[in-house]
Amino acid sequence: MKWRNVLRLISVDIKSGRLIRGQRLRRYRERRVLQYVMYGGSCLLGIAVGLLVGTVYSGVPDPEMKTGLLLNIKILFIAAPTLVLTYSLIFTMMRQIQRAGIKASIQPPYWLPITWGEHTLAAILANLIGVQLAALLSMVSAISVVSIFLGEIPLATLTIFALLAIAFLASATTEIFRILQVRLTGAVYKTSGKAAIWVRFFGSILIFIAFYVVYFFFTSGANFPAIIEALASGQKTVWFIPYLWLGMTLFSFVNGHIVETIAFSLGSVTFLSALFAVAAKLNSRFGLYEPPAISISIGAYTPRPSIWGRLGFSSSEAAIMRKDFKAFTRRRELMYFFVLPIVITIMYTSLMRVPYFQGSSGFSALILLIPGALMATSMGSMIIGQEGAPVWHLYSSPITAESLVKCKYRFVAIFSCAVTLACSAVGILIIRPSLRIIFAALIESIFLIVTLSAVSLRAGVKGASFVEIPRPRMIRPVDGIINFIVCIMLSCVILAPLIPYAGTMIGLLAPLPHFYLYIALAISGTTAAIATYGFYRIAVKNAKHFLAEAET
Amino acid sequence: MASDSDVTVKLTGVAKRYADVVAVDYVDLDVKKGEIFGLLGPNGSGKSTLLKMILGLVKPDSGSLNVLGIKAEENPVAIKAQTGYVPEVPRLYEFLTGMEYLDFTADLYNVSPAEKRKRINEYLEALELQGREGDMISAYSLGMKQKTALISAFVHRPKLLLLDEPLSGLDPRSARIIKDLLRELASKGVTTIMSTHILEIAQAMCDRIAIMYEGRLLATGNMEELREMARLPGSNLEEIFLALTGTSDVRDVVEALMK
Repeated sequence: MKWRNVLRLISVDIKSGRLIRGQRLRRYRERRVLQYVMYGGSCLLGIAVGLLVGTVYSGVPDPEMKTGLLLNIKILFIAAPTLVLTYSLIFTMMRQIQRAGIKASIQPPYWLPITWGEHTLAAILANLIGVQLAALLSMVSAISVVSIFLGEIPLATLTIFALLAIAFLASATTEIFRILQVRLTGAVYKTSGKAAIWVRFFGSILIFIAFYVVYFFFTSGANFPAIIEALASGQKTVWFIPYLWLGMTLFSFVNGHIVETIAFSLGSVTFLSALFAVAAKLNSRFGLYEPPAISISIGAYTPRPSIWGRLGFSSSEAAIMRKDFKAFTRRRELMYFFVLPIVITIMYTSLMRVPYFQGSSGFSALILLIPGALMATSMGSMIIGQEGAPVWHLYSSPITAESLVKCKYRFVAIFSCAVTLACSAVGILIIRPSLRIIFAALIESIFLIVTLSAVSLRAGVKGASFVEIPRPRMIRPVDGIINFIVCIMLSCVILAPLIPYAGTMIGLLAPLPHFYLYIALAISGTTAAIATYGFYRIAVKNAKHFLAEAET
Repeated sequence: MASDSDVTVKLTGVAKRYADVVAVDYVDLDVKKGEIFGLLGPNGSGKSTLLKMILGLVKPDSGSLNVLGIKAEENPVAIKAQTGYVPEVPRLYEFLTGMEYLDFTADLYNVSPAEKRKRINEYLEALELQGREGDMISAYSLGMKQKTALISAFVHRPKLLLLDEPLSGLDPRSARIIKDLLRELASKGVTTIMSTHILEIAQAMCDRIAIMYEGRLLATGNMEELREMARLPGSNLEEIFLALTGTSDVRDVVEALMK
């Protein structure tokens, strides 16, 4: 294996991630400083946490308390590999989901003198770069600093090696899953014929739902100490699972079982090598596999009347809306838009079964408000950027800025309303809020959707990014973040008139007269209308610039 | 001298820079109605930028463009409505089938359903895409994608065609069909401006040719006029091109490479 080849391949991946669309579509620039700020910041954060914990530990006067604290820190060290395994699996898989639609990013340059081993190793390591690496650096820094205060340098060194190894293990597992998934889905599409597109749609959605439910379970922060405790003690009973052997190595080391420590660490190295060998073997076998073509219809072309056309949209507006609908149901990287509202509904309805929240009608109103607003915010900001490289069709076609904004805006708003209705139906059936709450929440939801669609579309036009490799970016990160903040602030302003009403429901305020709800809704609606009008006009203005300056 | 009504595209002092790079350097150009006009030049000579400026995708830094009797800066949408465009690398919507893609582009240009059906079926048959039009474009070969992009440029019966390397990736039969089709369209008054690197195609197809080099128009005319400008009577386009662009030291380059 040529290590320089591996490093070169990783550097290609890093550089492709740095591509930024500037003012000019055809010109790219790198932001090297920004790229490393995250890692530097993570190290500093880790050092700060380490210093804090170390100082607190040193300052504890009671020896018994000190021993207790040391024990807890050791438990954290033992649980850390399994925790990192979970997070790394989630983040590496998320990264692969984002890249799913882009063939170029996963196609190895097979014509170059690169071996499958080098390609696989580079793919595994490159998949860890980003948030995972930053988190890992943070943990490593914290552990290093804390260990000096604790006088546990050998344990800390072993923990750091275990963390690096487990992250590699997670990424190798993701790589294996990715290759198998491409091969398996290809076989499924082949056998499902014309139904392939729907098989793909529902299959992907189900996988995403399962994935995100697990993700939210782990990232919701619910009872974190209990999870750590369970991980540290639980892995003893399931020691035979190779993924836990690194944690078991630490557990054996802490308890002074040298033979077991050596056995588990050797087992871990063997398992890690075996996983890598499997990934390289699978890549050499299926790495260049092309999924079969999906054929949707056969026969002479017959144009069908469009539903959008009947709703008063012009031919070109209807064409763009139809195309966008197909994009959101066929492009895997866009399908996850459907998933978040579904997952929120699942998590929310599960949460509402917890006794503490039962009967909290104000809280239940959120299930009717959040999914549609979230959909409008995310979809609106990405509806232009999702065009990707084929955006030249919009540039070169005789579509006006007004038409473009009109069809994109209405597509986002209609889609978000449909999501609200679907999620609300489920929420109402399970949570059973009062009619009054359903009425108010649904109206407010519409206000939010109408406004946030315009706000996000403006950001989407202004900050559109057509970079597709290593993953479709769709909106420049800064514009995305600003848009999210603006949307949250504006949502608060729109919902503000209902705060007194919500206060009466949870018993914080005295009951208000019945008509107050209608006054609050009217104020809220007026605010929404003004904001929508303003942002819509700005979106049109930005779209004019977007079309006129196309590639300049 | 062509009258103004005969001129489909008129460029006056058009220039474009990208930072320090001069893409188009004060170009003056008239392209007549029904003409097949070839743009030749080495890589990076400004051909694609010039085509994009005519369509309004790139705003010139200076100069004026009059396309189909419309000032480009005043009403670019009206120009686009009457123009068919195929970029150098046509990136299509890969999640659509060929048929859905053509339906989409025809709708963008407001072609009536009956016309759309007739024209799309005709083109699919002529370019041998029938039977594959229901497949997603992601599974198409480069040539099939090029054919699909060409059909989408023809389907709304444009008055002006801007084609960047139109025959790239096409099989000989399809290339021949496109060449004959462009000739037929030219006889009906459709103007074509195409950029190409294949000099034989330019020589065989184009009524007039412009040779570009470093953003400048070195020479414009028919074959006879170009021969006169290059002072190479009886020569072919390759010899004229190499002589005019000062890149005729090909033998020296090859020899240096072989050392």
